[in-house]
Amino acid sequence: MSDVAIAPRRRRRRGWALPYLLMAPALVLLAGMLYPFALGVYYSMTRYWLQYPNRFRFIWFDNYLDLLEEPLFSRAFQFTLGFTVAAVVVQVGLGLAVALFLHGRVPGRAVIRALMLMPLMIPPVITALMWKIMMASSEAGILNHMLSWIGIDPVNWFGSINGAIVSVLIIDTWGNLPFVALILLGALQALPTEPYEAAKVDGAGPIDTFRYVTLPLLMPFIVLVVMFRAMDSLRIFDVIYATTGGGPNDATTNLHIMAYQYGFQWYQMGKGMAQAIVLLILVVIVSTLLMKLWNKASERTVN
Amino acid sequence: MSGAVLQPGLAAATPRGRAVSWQKTAKTVAIVIGAFLLLAWTVFPFFWILLTSLKAPGDILSVPPKFIFEPTLDNYAALVMGEQRGNVAASRPDFPRFFLNSLIISTGAVALSIAAGIPAAYALARYEFKGKNALAFLFMSFRFVPFIAFVIPLYLIYQRIGFYNTHHGLILAYQLITLPFTIWMLRSFFLEVPSEIQEAAAIDGCTWFGVLVRVILPLSAPGIAVTVILGFMFCWNAFNYPLMLAGRQTFPVTVGAIQFISYEQVLWGQMAAATIVAALPQLLLSLMVQKYIVRGLTMGAVR
Repeated sequence: MSDVAIAPRRRRRRGWALPYLLMAPALVLLAGMLYPFALGVYYSMTRYWLQYPNRFRFIWFDNYLDLLEEPLFSRAFQFTLGFTVAAVVVQVGLGLAVALFLHGRVPGRAVIRALMLMPLMIPPVITALMWKIMMASSEAGILNHMLSWIGIDPVNWFGSINGAIVSVLIIDTWGNLPFVALILLGALQALPTEPYEAAKVDGAGPIDTFRYVTLPLLMPFIVLVVMFRAMDSLRIFDVIYATTGGGPNDATTNLHIMAYQYGFQWYQMGKGMAQAIVLLILVVIVSTLLMKLWNKASERTVN
Repeated sequence: MSGAVLQPGLAAATPRGRAVSWQKTAKTVAIVIGAFLLLAWTVFPFFWILLTSLKAPGDILSVPPKFIFEPTLDNYAALVMGEQRGNVAASRPDFPRFFLNSLIISTGAVALSIAAGIPAAYALARYEFKGKNALAFLFMSFRFVPFIAFVIPLYLIYQRIGFYNTHHGLILAYQLITLPFTIWMLRSFFLEVPSEIQEAAAIDGCTWFGVLVRVILPLSAPGIAVTVILGFMFCWNAFNYPLMLAGRQTFPVTVGAIQFISYEQVLWGQMAAATIVAALPQLLLSLMVQKYIVRGLTMGAVR
């Protein structure tokens, strides 16, 4: 009798532990990720110069307060936000246009679609190097040569402030436009047909149909790609590092590049880490806002 | 007589018909031009880098850029054989080794993530347990964290425990890229296995292990293959972590490719050849997993 009573209890207890046991290897690795992060948060509140280990001291929030007084910090902060807005607007705008274009009857659509995966899946730093070759600022650069065909003077791509900003934007757009376009194209092709039939019956023109049928139905996906692109643009590093290195005159230095410079060029680990935390907080704020927007957009579409 | 009646009608119809067909032609031309521009924007950089990689040094910097020249494989030979790799022997980029490093690190990182990720994803897909959603969300959040927040403490820890500039150190660091991705992708594939089949197997006496090995894994084998390939590709693309955590002996191709830029000179031809070689595996693999790339990039959020 006691055996019968114990057996189910034991099974239930094992059942309770099972998911955690299954998760265990992943949780060990997770701990291995969280430990350095926690240590980093601690370091962000220390004076930690790699060359002068004996000057190590816990200094509370001094690193953060120092950042506020740093002129470069506010410039990097502005560039981070400005670049993100520009990148999201350009990439989502063009991506939507490309998606709508490919949604129509286009010759060779399958081929274009397959080829668009290529910029998307090669390493971003390789993308940057490819464009670096094409954007050579002399007339030997193919891009400047092509501009001369339509009568535009050679652009000093990475050497001038505006040129550098535009270059980074072009390179990032080349790599990520397919991401936006392919998601929105997939969404367009999966849209229900009934609303379109209803719009046709009501005699709506193509612009009205887009404005009142396509756009609202597409909204959750647009917000989703805005979210992904905003998160990646806030943290953009590879492209800037491999092309302008943050220059000229710090014009393309964003928070990520600046944190890297503090950590690995000036070896002030505490300040670098404080930068990293500031960037992380910015990313969390923006992603939370966009997540809320996404929930709203999806609810509205369901209704 | 009837013919005479018909004539005016025909005469009226013809100009209108011409107008319609003219509009149609204009539209077709616009679509073809659009398709061509999209194709050129996507493919031209690859084409140009391929040309550059086949040029002798004198042809690369010629003004105007040359489309027609005598192709040479010297750049690729230099990449493989180590000729003319810079002035100082010790600072010469060793590209075959970088390629091998990429293979070792990416394979190791994916293997570890799959081994830990399969049971974890199974637990998240099949069981209800305390903290489940928080854990799933925690893993997802790694997709959006700025790498610098991890790489600064990791660098300091790795220096201390001797993981700096080692393959296993990089494999562990790459878990930040692959583990969250693997868990979310596998979970989304496991959720697609109908629960009726799993319950039937459980009734037939299968333990959780039996259900996993005999039902879930065989039925989601294609999904696991996709996860492996995409995870490998994301590792191949990684640049930030190895930039700071690897040394000359462990650089992957992404960090290796920027080694052709030095203070004295930029070896454009070899850099172009290196970018082609670094991108090639990605281009081939992305053809294999075409349909799943969007799903992979959004960690299963968009199918």
